[in-house]
Amino acid sequence: MSPMLEVKNITKQYGEGEARVMALNGVSLVAEKGDFIAIMGPSGCGKSTLLNVIGGLERLTGGEVVLEGQRIDTLDEDAFVGARRGKIAYVFQQFHLLASLTALENVMLPLVLAGTKSDHQREALAILSKVGLEKRARHRPAQLSGGEQQRVAIARALVNNPSLLLADEPTGNMDQKTSNEILEMFSRLNREGQTIMMVTHDPVIARFADRVVNLKDGQVVNGSN
Amino acid sequence: MRLHHIVAKDSLARKRRMLFAAFGIVIGIMTVVGILTVARSGRAQLYEQLERYGPNLTILPAVSSLDVRMGSLSLGQLGVGENYIAQDKVPVIREITDRLIRTSLDIRVPGPIATVAPELYATTQVKGANVMVVGMDGEAQRAIKSWWIVKEGAYPAGNDALVGHTAASLLGLKVGDEVVIGKQVTMVSGVLDETGSVDDSQIFLPLTVVQDAVGKSGLISAVNVRALCTACPVSVIADEINQTLTGVRAVAVKQVAETEMGMLSRINTFLLAIAGITLLVGLFGVVNTMMAAVNERVRDIGILRAVGASRNQILKMFVYEAVAIGIAGGLAGYLSGTLLAFVIGPLIFKGAPIGFVPSYIGVSLLLSIVVAILASIYPAYRATKIKVADSLRSL
Ligand SMILES: Nc1ncnc2c1ncn2[C@@H]1O[C@H](COP(=O)(O)OP(=O)(O)OP(=O)(O)O)[C@@H](O)[C@H]1O
Ligand SMILES: [Mg+2]
Repeated sequence: MSPMLEVKNITKQYGEGEARVMALNGVSLVAEKGDFIAIMGPSGCGKSTLLNVIGGLERLTGGEVVLEGQRIDTLDEDAFVGARRGKIAYVFQQFHLLASLTALENVMLPLVLAGTKSDHQREALAILSKVGLEKRARHRPAQLSGGEQQRVAIARALVNNPSLLLADEPTGNMDQKTSNEILEMFSRLNREGQTIMMVTHDPVIARFADRVVNLKDGQVVNGSN
Repeated sequence: MRLHHIVAKDSLARKRRMLFAAFGIVIGIMTVVGILTVARSGRAQLYEQLERYGPNLTILPAVSSLDVRMGSLSLGQLGVGENYIAQDKVPVIREITDRLIRTSLDIRVPGPIATVAPELYATTQVKGANVMVVGMDGEAQRAIKSWWIVKEGAYPAGNDALVGHTAASLLGLKVGDEVVIGKQVTMVSGVLDETGSVDDSQIFLPLTVVQDAVGKSGLISAVNVRALCTACPVSVIADEINQTLTGVRAVAVKQVAETEMGMLSRINTFLLAIAGITLLVGLFGVVNTMMAAVNERVRDIGILRAVGASRNQILKMFVYEAVAIGIAGGLAGYLSGTLLAFVIGPLIFKGAPIGFVPSYIGVSLLLSIVVAILASIYPAYRATKIKVADSLRSL
């Protein structure tokens, strides 16, 4: 059986000529179902770019991305939207919630956009209570703490039952205690079978993962554990 | 929650921007509705005034004056022809008029269409003064002179007389007084209100009474024809009457009306062109605002794309917003345009009544929604081109 995610020798180039930056320079890695992978490396080494390319937020310059046996890097934008729904979900360092929507509505968003026939509100509420925020369902992001906002963002990522959860420094904006709560939540999700790929530059945080991929100048320098 | 709910919530959170976008449309629609409403009332007023011109067609005896000369010696002028028209020509005139109107306007219903009113002019003495007496067909006359108002008494029936305003006051005639013409004695049944025309100094009697009194049975002095339609082929009718009947001369009284109407519609077109330009300027205002709205939402669009929105869905959201702006702008534009008409209408057409024209609501809405969507096409297209990763990277 093919692995959940296979990244084969990908490159990503920004700019041309003098301004040329090779953000990714031949990265390969494999993620199996149930993996919790931490991607580490110094600032500017291409961690975010790697995640964005896998998540389809950005097109790659060379190489292949194969998700559950389907090559997704060659899909056009519109086909990609369909291929990604329910398979890949994102959690960002800046939470990226819509300010005009309540917590509940933010969580419902992926279901609404995917146009699933299910009861969006009920499903979203169930996920919100899973991250312990059912009492904050009607609050807007501005009325929530950073940790709470990130939990809403995690609920939003989980609501479509994604095969792969991508997280780019999800605790980067938090104090120690809140950060630990969020990371505990990731661990719990992973124990329940959720595949997670998380970017961090903090070795302490990387310890929550069961495998670390080290990047330097757009290349994998070692894969430990 | 559906796509348009997301748009509604976001738009409500940016009320000021939305109001600003709608404002450009409101100004444009306001101008259009204002001009249309004022022009409409002006046209109504003009039609009403045209009605007052009375007959569309007047048929008179063909009295022509010939210069009689012998060599270079002028022998003066000689009147040729009669001063009267035979009354049996009236049915022919009616037939020609109705037939031509029928073919020109494609009317299939039978029955008379135009009003044909014969008149016979004579003079008589009332209380020692000479007065012009008009013999008329009471019903036809009333239909032709629709502006007549009987001030005292009632419109005459039988052999009674109707007296013009000036004649009544000069001669001291009142309802119930006697008027004698030839051997006929009649009674005044009504006095007309002032009309500002020759009618004021005349006395109106039944045609047969005047014919008997002056010994002109079967003769009339003139025929007035009124078709009560603005698109009637009056000059064609006049031509055919002139060719068919001898001894008469038909004159169309319609040219004046047509000139005035043409003028009004040219002014109308000009004003609407100005309104169109206003609307166009408004459109660019909306493009500007919508473009700013897209820039303001770059991050939100990135978020939506990241959680599964297709480019198509982003496009749709902007179209929904445009439709909402269009509806709001259209309604507000209709209301303010009508108010504008109430203010400027009386300055342009004195005394023309201005009113709400409900059918312009639909026009306003259609126009403003079209403008709003046109204005949103480019900004919405730009929104779909936003690079998701870049929009989310910035802090
Ligand atoms: N849109 C872009 N245009 C040009 N260069 C870019 C662009 N995005 C990223 N880069 C460059 O690509 C390289 C990798 O960037 P990336 O954001 O992936 O780094 P990172 O490892 O996530 O860093 P950090 O830890 O600071 O978030 C950097 O040198 C960055 O300047
Ligand atoms: Mg980064």
